Amino acid sequence: MSHYEASIREPLINGNKSYHDITVDVAAPVEGKANKKWWIAFTIALLAFLYGIACIAYTIGIGIGVWGLNNRVNWAWDITNFVWWVGIGHAGTLISAVLLLFRQKWRMGINRSAEAMTIFAVFQAGLFPIIHMGRVWNAFYVLPLPNALGSLWVNFNSPLLWDVFAISTYLSVSLVFWYTGLLPDFAMLRDRAVRPFQKKIYGLLSFGWSGRLKDWQRFEEVSLVLAGLATPLVLSVHTIVSMDFATSVIPGWHSTIFPPYFVAGAIFSGFAMVQTLLLIMRKVSNLEAYITRIHIENMNKVILLTGGIVSVAYITEFFMGWYSGSSYEDYTYLSVGAATGPYWWAFWALITCNFIIPQSLWFKKLRTNYVWSFFISIVINIGMWFERFDIIVIDLSRGHLPSSWTMFSPTFVDVGIFIGTIGFFFVLFLLYARTFPVIAQAELKSILKSSGDNYKKLRENNHEQ
Amino acid sequence: MSNKTLQAIFDDDDVLLSAVKDLRAAEYHIEEIFTPFPVHGLEKAVGLPNTRIAIMAFIYGVIGFSFAVWMMNYMMIADWPQNIGGKPSFSFAENMPAFVPIMFELTVFFAAHLMVITFYMRSKLWPFKKAENPDPRTTDDHFMIEIAVADDVNALEDLLKKAGAKEIKIKA
Amino acid sequence: MYSFSKKLKISAIVFMILGALGIAYGFLTIPNSIEEVKQLTEQQNQGHNEANAANVIEQNPNHAVENGKEVSEAAKTEHLTHALHSFQNRPYAAIFIAMFFFFMIALGTLAFYAIQYASQAGWSIVLFRVMEGITAYLLPGSLFILAFLIISVANGHYFYIWMNPEYYNPQSELYDEILVGKSWWLNVPFWMVRTFIFLLGWNIYRYFAVKNSLAQDAGVDLTHYKKNFKASVFFLLFFAVTESMMAWDWIMSLTPHWLSTLFGWYVFSTLFVSSITVIAMVTIYLKSKGFLPQVNNSHFHDLAKFMFGFSIFWTYLWFSQFMLIWYANMPEETAYFTPRLLGPYQLLFMGMLLSNFVFPLLLLMNSDFKRIPWFIISTGIIILLGHYVDIFVMISPATVGNHWQIGIPEISSILFFLGLFIYVVFNALTKSPLNAKGNPFIKESEHFHY
Repeated sequence: MSHYEASIREPLINGNKSYHDITVDVAAPVEGKANKKWWIAFTIALLAFLYGIACIAYTIGIGIGVWGLNNRVNWAWDITNFVWWVGIGHAGTLISAVLLLFRQKWRMGINRSAEAMTIFAVFQAGLFPIIHMGRVWNAFYVLPLPNALGSLWVNFNSPLLWDVFAISTYLSVSLVFWYTGLLPDFAMLRDRAVRPFQKKIYGLLSFGWSGRLKDWQRFEEVSLVLAGLATPLVLSVHTIVSMDFATSVIPGWHSTIFPPYFVAGAIFSGFAMVQTLLLIMRKVSNLEAYITRIHIENMNKVILLTGGIVSVAYITEFFMGWYSGSSYEDYTYLSVGAATGPYWWAFWALITCNFIIPQSLWFKKLRTNYVWSFFISIVINIGMWFERFDIIVIDLSRGHLPSSWTMFSPTFVDVGIFIGTIGFFFVLFLLYARTFPVIAQAELKSILKSSGDNYKKLRENNHEQ
Repeated sequence: MSNKTLQAIFDDDDVLLSAVKDLRAAEYHIEEIFTPFPVHGLEKAVGLPNTRIAIMAFIYGVIGFSFAVWMMNYMMIADWPQNIGGKPSFSFAENMPAFVPIMFELTVFFAAHLMVITFYMRSKLWPFKKAENPDPRTTDDHFMIEIAVADDVNALEDLLKKAGAKEIKIKA
Repeated sequence: MYSFSKKLKISAIVFMILGALGIAYGFLTIPNSIEEVKQLTEQQNQGHNEANAANVIEQNPNHAVENGKEVSEAAKTEHLTHALHSFQNRPYAAIFIAMFFFFMIALGTLAFYAIQYASQAGWSIVLFRVMEGITAYLLPGSLFILAFLIISVANGHYFYIWMNPEYYNPQSELYDEILVGKSWWLNVPFWMVRTFIFLLGWNIYRYFAVKNSLAQDAGVDLTHYKKNFKASVFFLLFFAVTESMMAWDWIMSLTPHWLSTLFGWYVFSTLFVSSITVIAMVTIYLKSKGFLPQVNNSHFHDLAKFMFGFSIFWTYLWFSQFMLIWYANMPEETAYFTPRLLGPYQLLFMGMLLSNFVFPLLLLMNSDFKRIPWFIISTGIIILLGHYVDIFVMISPATVGNHWQIGIPEISSILFFLGLFIYVVFNALTKSPLNAKGNPFIKESEHFHY
């Protein structure tokens, strides 16, 4: 009776799985050997990463003059990439925390990888403000430490400092949330391992998890409280990122809708990235039984929802710019001035990728189609990059002083560092996919009887008792 | 009275749950249960008291909040007040809105990390800790109940067999 | 089937009668001339002198802040004219605030209901009839709003000051370029048409959703359920756009120079948390009378969790709007917060943070408390009072200015609409069985327990 679930809900685990099957399937990528495709992907990612490192080294050696920034546009690719990566880093915690609070069972097939992705994305994000400091060896000055400058403290009134606190809290709490969830799964790998080296490593990683009743009770309580804490936390991070812009008086940046609108945009882009990765992973790691059509469809529905929220925000921004009657508002990133100005291509890239193409997800045929979903997810990733580019570059290239209006063009270093972070991200994710339990198997087992196809069928045959 | 432990292994969570209820009804003392995943309703069936870790999290959060207030007041207002960007830092109340984000972040930071550390300490989880589940299958698809027994175990064995136990072992 | 208890019915009617009398009293005691205003303000000034420190009247967009001591005679008369206008506005404002407050509860409940359908939620089906009952107030609520707006336009009173044609007359000394610039959006015909479209759209959805939901009870297949699922998705799409516009049109345009892009969503958060609170309270009331046998304390828990969550969400949006304007410190924006934060509304403005954030946060944090009916009810009352104040603080500074009071007109308006709300809602609840038994998720909802 306690496993009851309405019959019109589609099963979340296909293929007539038993508890043991789940164990075997989740352990398979870890215990098996990497295939050729993995090595090819890993090599490409590694090369991109190394190129990025070279560009970073060059920047640090010469100074950030090697970027395309100028007097007027003094934030551009760097901060665009920063915001883009932070945004992507919102989906994992959203899936594991918010969907946990809403008791969405479909989160269990995908939360582990989404969280991993989150953490790797926030790594990339964190790089940019640090490099942007120029003298990276002084980066510790952002921490409120007593120092030799007559104990000159950091400025707590500055949104940039709020960012330091928000992102480090977010990264560390996500990491802990993720790791705590991993303990039972590492324990499973440990108890299955045959090779002594693997046994040792997973024994170490599992912290001696034994699966006692009291441990599980605490585990569940801790997960719930962490979810309760992580939900406002995840909102706060992009809220604070948006405040980097919105506390200023620059036309287009100073807008009160920014905090919730940025959060919706972050979830939008984060889910797109999760979608991209999951669609590949379910094939490569043979997880089609666990990451099913309904998972992909649900992800698409969330994308449609958050995309809708973002679209309403676009409409609001566009409208309010007009309604305000301020002529400077005619040149902000969502305005007629932007649509017809020199950055028209960036404006229309944003509208096409984030607004027009995702509307196709209204059709069930398309949102349950894997190829189309993959395509859409890439389009949204691009669109959300453009959104940040537009907010930063278009708004900065205009402003209150028309005589200083100017354009921005990136150098190879700007581009190189961006490519490098993409490489770094995939290096981390590919390593993760080979060595970590990529599905939260313990949690998944707890929904097998309510949502497994075999059990659902059995119940239906027994007349839905 | 000897210090023997009986280990009964099950391979289904619903069977385990009903066995636990039978054991409780027959007033046996369940020492420990090892499961591969959290079984819904098991702790209630065993009669485990609620964990108080959420209360600790609240207290840690209050500590984090207070720390944030103290820190920002000390650094910005008391130790070295400055006028940055036309926003003078001479009174805490007037600067309050700008301090809210960090108050929130530190509340969460303290609550989350200290709670997880408390959890690891209380459940004795740390690197190099040896696992203590007696059977490796209990992280896969088997469930084990440990019951402290006196010399006569036949009645208990019968009960467990009837309840659906797959294997029964007695460890001295 | 629920039957409307006599006691409740009589008290609803008594509320309405008392309210109507009080409202009439409010209109009859409006001062008619500057002389009367002089007397009134003098009386008030004896009461609280300090309130005059921040003497900002948002009524006139051209009005400069009067902080200086030397005020000319002409300015004094002008000031008194505004004061007269404010006093004349007071009964209108009182009605509008109460009217909007109860209307938004029905509207928010409708949105919550649509979200349950669209997200295929399983837990809340046993509450569907309660929600349908509450949304029954949407139609009378809409008609009252429509009537109010038409009257406020027709009687030439300019409850919305941008309707005053003087602002658009280049010869007039009131001529206002900014308002002229906005007149493509803020003009009476277009504004009325928009209002009409919003109300029509919402009511159409409500009509068909309830009809389908009742038809599904008898249905053999899921046609009606599927229709409702689709209708709910499209309603939410429509609602997402129109709710913001409604907030701009009905409330934000009271201060036509000021704007905040977040305003629509901020009003949404107020509306949503109040609605969930009312759903919880009505459910608990019905349960206490022995109805709704399928509802258990896990349902209470989830409703209370939503109250808790959306109270924090409200605070988040409140803070985002306030902090960004405070931080940027641009005069054209801070004008909105000056009377609220520093002026005569300070007490209400700060007080509502206590009732809308601090109380729900502390009272509903504990999971066990979320299951105790009297606890939910008392927190709910605090939340509802707080959000009434929120609406009051949104509307009053722009309409009654410094001379706000919560007196007979305000309380009577609340009583009248409360009575009407209770009468309509509980009357609607008697019309259909309280269990939506045809819904495919109903069993999940009945089994809902954790």
